[in-house]
Amino acid sequence: MSSLKKRKYDVIVIGSGISGGWAAKEFCEKGLKTLVLERGRDVKHVTDYPTAMKNPWDFPHGGQVPLAIKEQNPVISKHYLYTEASKHWAVPDAVHPFVEEKPFTWVRGYHVGGRSLMWARQTQRWSEFDFEGPARDGFSVDWPIRYADIAPWYSHVERFAGISGNKDGIPQLPDGEFLPAFEMSCLEQHFQKSIASRYTDRQLIQGRCAHVTDPQPVHQEQGRAQCQNRNLCVRGCPLGGYFSSNASTLPWAAKTGNMTLRPDSIVHSIIYDEKKGQAKGVRVVDAYTNEMVEYYAKVVFVNAGAFNTNLILLNSTSSRFPNGIGNDSGLLGKYIIWHNYRGRISAKYDQLLDMRTKGKNPNHSYIPRFRNVHRQETDFLRGYAVGFGGGRGFDADTSGIGEALKNNLLHPPLDEWNVSGWMMGEVIPRENNHVRLHESLKDPNGMPQLVISTEWSENEDKMVADFMEQLTEMLTGAGFKDVQARDSHANPGNDIHEMGGARMGNDPKTSVLNKWNQLHACKNVFVTDGACMTSGSTQNPSLTYMAITARAANYAVEELKKRNL
Amino acid sequence: MKRRQAIKQLAITTGGILTLPAWARAWSAQTLPAVENPLLDRNILNAVIGAIIPESPELPGAVSLGVPGFVERILADCYTKEVSDNVKTGLRFADSVARRKHQKSFLDISQQEQQAILVQFEKGDDYAVKDFYRVVKQLTIQGYNNSEFVQTKFLEYEMAPGFYHGCVPVNQ
Repeated sequence: MSSLKKRKYDVIVIGSGISGGWAAKEFCEKGLKTLVLERGRDVKHVTDYPTAMKNPWDFPHGGQVPLAIKEQNPVISKHYLYTEASKHWAVPDAVHPFVEEKPFTWVRGYHVGGRSLMWARQTQRWSEFDFEGPARDGFSVDWPIRYADIAPWYSHVERFAGISGNKDGIPQLPDGEFLPAFEMSCLEQHFQKSIASRYTDRQLIQGRCAHVTDPQPVHQEQGRAQCQNRNLCVRGCPLGGYFSSNASTLPWAAKTGNMTLRPDSIVHSIIYDEKKGQAKGVRVVDAYTNEMVEYYAKVVFVNAGAFNTNLILLNSTSSRFPNGIGNDSGLLGKYIIWHNYRGRISAKYDQLLDMRTKGKNPNHSYIPRFRNVHRQETDFLRGYAVGFGGGRGFDADTSGIGEALKNNLLHPPLDEWNVSGWMMGEVIPRENNHVRLHESLKDPNGMPQLVISTEWSENEDKMVADFMEQLTEMLTGAGFKDVQARDSHANPGNDIHEMGGARMGNDPKTSVLNKWNQLHACKNVFVTDGACMTSGSTQNPSLTYMAITARAANYAVEELKKRNL
Repeated sequence: MKRRQAIKQLAITTGGILTLPAWARAWSAQTLPAVENPLLDRNILNAVIGAIIPESPELPGAVSLGVPGFVERILADCYTKEVSDNVKTGLRFADSVARRKHQKSFLDISQQEQQAILVQFEKGDDYAVKDFYRVVKQLTIQGYNNSEFVQTKFLEYEMAPGFYHGCVPVNQ
C-alpha cells in the first residue's frame, strides 16, 4: 500500500467519462493535484481501440456476436451497441449484477473514458424553457439555475470539445460556438422546406454534434484531426474526430502533470469526517483483489454515471448520515428520469430519384421540441424532439441463383429514399421511479447491488401517441409514402440517458444538491453527472453535463482559494 | 414481397426456425445415405454455395472469396443448434435427391443440375427444406457482399471517405 502522503490529493474525481473527464481537465489546468478514479480498465487513446481499423470482412462473424456469448449476457446483448465491433465496451452481465425490480436496460461503460466512447455525440443546448419547465408546469422542483447561469459554460465546453452545427436562431434550442455543419441530404432539405411552408411552430435543422469538422488550434493542441466521415465512432476514433474523454479532456489533464489516473478502482464510499463536518476522501476497492485503500482530498467530485453515483452516495453511511451522505431529505435515489425514445417512424420517398448522397454522414437532422413550448397546449406535459435521417441504399434483387444472382449483387440499383425518425421525449420525474441499495445482495466486489425500480407512466404513453400522429402528418404532408409509425415499448434505460436521484434545488428539504452541485449538507462533495438533473428535457444530456461540470469545478477552485472548502 | 422479406429478416435475427423440421422426423436413417466421409457435408456445402454464386472467368464466385468458411463459422457460432442441424440434414437431403435423380452424388452433377435441385427446394412447400436453402443462400449473399473484393470493387466501400455530400446527381 502506498504511503499516506502519496494518497493525498487536492481533488478526487470519481469517474472518467464525459463529466469526470471535464472535472479532471478543469482542476488540473488550475494546478490542483487531481486523482481520477475509474472502476474499469485503462483505455489509451488510439492504441486501445482494437476494432477501429477493421474492415467489414475482418470480422469473423460479419458483425454478429456468437450465440454462446449472447447467452451469457442476456441483458446487455439485447442492446444495439452489442455488436462484434463494439461489445468490448459493454459490461458483461456477470461483472456488475443489479436487480431489475421493474424492467430497466442499464447500459454501462466500465473503462477509462466510460460512455464518452459509446455515445451518439449529439450536443444540443438546453434553453430557458427547459430550466423554467418544472416551475411553470408544476412538477419536480424548481431548477436552482437558469440558462444565463450556464450559457457561458456551454460556450466554454463547446469551443474545446468541437461542436459542429448551424446557427438556427430557435429560442428553444439556443445557438452555440459552432464549427461548420455537415450537409443535409436532398431529402432532408425537401422535408425542411415542406415543414417550413406548413408549420409555424416547427423546424427541421441539422443536428449539432461533437465532431471536429474544421480543427481549430485548440483541437490541434489536443492532437485531434478533422473527422474523416468513417462513421465507425463507436469503436473509438484514432483521429479524435469526435469528442471523448480519451481523445480530449484526459490527455489534456495528463499533460499538466497534475493528474493521477487510477483504473480498476471501484469507489466503495465517501469518507465523512464527523469532527470537521465534511468529506475527507474515499474508500476504493481494487477491482481484481478487492483490497480496500483510502484516498484523501479537500474536494470530491462524483461523476460515476448517474446510477453508480447514487449507489456510492447511498453506500456512504456515517453516524451523521445513516441513510447515505447528503441524504437528510430522504430523496437520494428518487425522481429518476430518462428519455422516451419509444416512438419510431419510417417512410419512403419516390421522387428526387436522380439525386443521391455520397460519402458517409456521421450526423442526422433534428426537429427541436415544438409541443407545449410557450404554453401548455396538449393533454400531456412537456414534449419531444425528433431525430431524423436516412438516404438511398443499394437494393439488389436476390431472388435468383447463379450468374444472374451474382450480376444482381455486383450491380445493385439504388433504392428509393428510406428515412426514419425517432422521438426523444421528456420523462416527468416521479418519486416512485427510484434506485436503492439491496438489503442483502452483493456484487462480486462486495458492494451492495443496486435495485432499479422505474416504469413508464400515462404521460409518456400519450406523448408517444402524439409523436406518431404528428410525424405521420408531417411526413405524409411532405409526400412521403409507406409511413409507418410504431411504439417500440423499449424498456426505460434503452436510451442510455438515465438521470436524477440527487437532484439540484434551492431547498435542502426537497433536493440533494444546491445550485453549485454541492451536497446541501456536505459542501465539499459535488455531483455533476446525470444524477444532478432536476428534470430531463428532450436534449441528449452530455453537453449539459460538460457545462455543469466545468461551472462547478471552477466554482470549487474559487472556493478553495477563499478557503471555504 | 416486402412482407416475405420482413419475415425472412425476422427469422434470421431470431435465429432461424423454431420448430423441428417435419421431414427430418419423417425421414429415417436408411433413407439418408450414411456419412462415411466427415468432409462430405463440407464438400456439399461448398458445392451448394458455389452453385448459388458461381465462379466465372472474369469474376470470382463465393467459393474463391472464402464464403464457405464464413457460412460454416456463422452456423457453428451464431445460430442455434436447430438451425445448423437443419442445414446439415438439408445438405444430406440435397445429396440424396441428386442420387435419386441422377444416380450421382451432388458433388458429381453439373452446376446447372445442382441449381435446378436448389431452386426446386426454394419453390417447394416443405418448410424445413426451404429453410435450409434460405439460410445457406442468405449467408452466402451476406458473406459475398461482405468480402473485400465485392465491397471495394462494386459497393463503393471506403473506410474513411473524408466527405459527405448530401445531394449529388446519380450519374456523377
